[in-house]
Amino acid sequence: MTHVVSEACIKCKYTDCVDVCPVDCFREGPNMLVIDPDECIDCAVCIPECPVNAIYAEEDMPADQLAFIQLNVELARAQGWKSITKRKPALADADDWKDVMPKVQLLER
Amino acid sequence: MILPVPLETGAVVIGAGPVGLFQVFQLGLLEVLVHVIDVLPHAGGQCMELYPDKPIYDIPGTPATTGRALSASLLQQIQPFSPQFHLGQQVSQIERQADGRFLVSTGQGAQLLAPVVIIAAGVGAFQPRRLKLDGIEAFAGGQLHYHAAPTYVAGQDVVVNGGDEAALHCALGLADSDAKSITLLHRRDTLQAPMADLVEMQMLVAAGRMRFIVGQIAGFEAELTRLTGLQITDVDGTAHRLPVDQLSVFLGLSPKLGPVADWGLAMNRKQLAVDTARFETSVPGIFAVGDINTYPGKQKLIVCGFHEATLAAYAAAPLVFPGKKIPFQYTTTSPRLHQLLGVPTPS
Repeated sequence: MTHVVSEACIKCKYTDCVDVCPVDCFREGPNMLVIDPDECIDCAVCIPECPVNAIYAEEDMPADQLAFIQLNVELARAQGWKSITKRKPALADADDWKDVMPKVQLLER
Repeated sequence: MILPVPLETGAVVIGAGPVGLFQVFQLGLLEVLVHVIDVLPHAGGQCMELYPDKPIYDIPGTPATTGRALSASLLQQIQPFSPQFHLGQQVSQIERQADGRFLVSTGQGAQLLAPVVIIAAGVGAFQPRRLKLDGIEAFAGGQLHYHAAPTYVAGQDVVVNGGDEAALHCALGLADSDAKSITLLHRRDTLQAPMADLVEMQMLVAAGRMRFIVGQIAGFEAELTRLTGLQITDVDGTAHRLPVDQLSVFLGLSPKLGPVADWGLAMNRKQLAVDTARFETSVPGIFAVGDINTYPGKQKLIVCGFHEATLAAYAAAPLVFPGKKIPFQYTTTSPRLHQLLGVPTPS
């Protein structure tokens, strides 16, 4: 089991989650964060930190978000996706995108 | 430098969360003396820090409780064994000595010597969250304080950042001081604090003794090596300057696995690998129980941690009392256990 970042993170990347992760398992891409399932210890501390409720325990993933389980696995290992351990400012237009759905087509790898 | 003489004990438990506390109980029944170390200033671990007042429904025989209530009853339950607590201390090192015992040292200078160490450290040590401003850490300990009131306030512009009970208490506690000004700064207009404290704050604000500002710290100003002001962005996005001589920050705590990873113990996904008969790590004599361990079928539940602590106690006791038979006894019927628990034996 692991925790998973879902679609809501795309084009927002608030990064509040990163600060509370005890094991530094977040990976950062151009416009989204993912969780490295090999590092996540399922402590769930990150879930309430996310201002857009993007993080779920694997078994709590909403049906329309299930693809993100595999996407987190892939992107955590993707070239250019780096470990992020400290919070940084959200993307400039994050607030404009936080309620927009769907936005998976806007994911930059 | 004079080296402290280490305190000798039967077992050192690292972590005073529910599983660490129950570990003390099980070791106590086996007559092992215990010292408990926790980085927090109070017992209870995640239960107290993350969800003190949220309900817990899966403690056997207790249909509903809370993190706070569970911690309190565990402390009551272990009281007969008089464990020694070392709170506000973080273990920095565990070293095996020539006689086979472990020397456990904390960053705060405590040293303990024991044949058994049981790590019940959960998701790691809770640390104060820091401000996210490049360069401001240079003032830490001088003008910038985390989870502490400034030590020197006479004639100073004091800013307290945060919205919880601890932040408000810090600000209220300065009301009678000779601080030049007291400002409570929080990113939202609601504070998580008891009504009585909120009323007291309102009275102090009305009397002009203290201010409450809603906004976020966007930057800081310094002259040479001195912090002089904060740049505040309010809810409308407008920027303000707030003069500051002393800044106390209360942004809550978050856990960090920390030095556990450096103790040379076998790990699997950043958790300590243990066997399910003894809950011992790859180093004989060092055990791991609760959320910090992993084994096939592991579930991160308090009840599983209680089971792990029980078996770890039985595996650890022979290391504390070599050659002594460790009897299996029921608290219901054993006169010896009744004596240890300080309860009468029914005649």
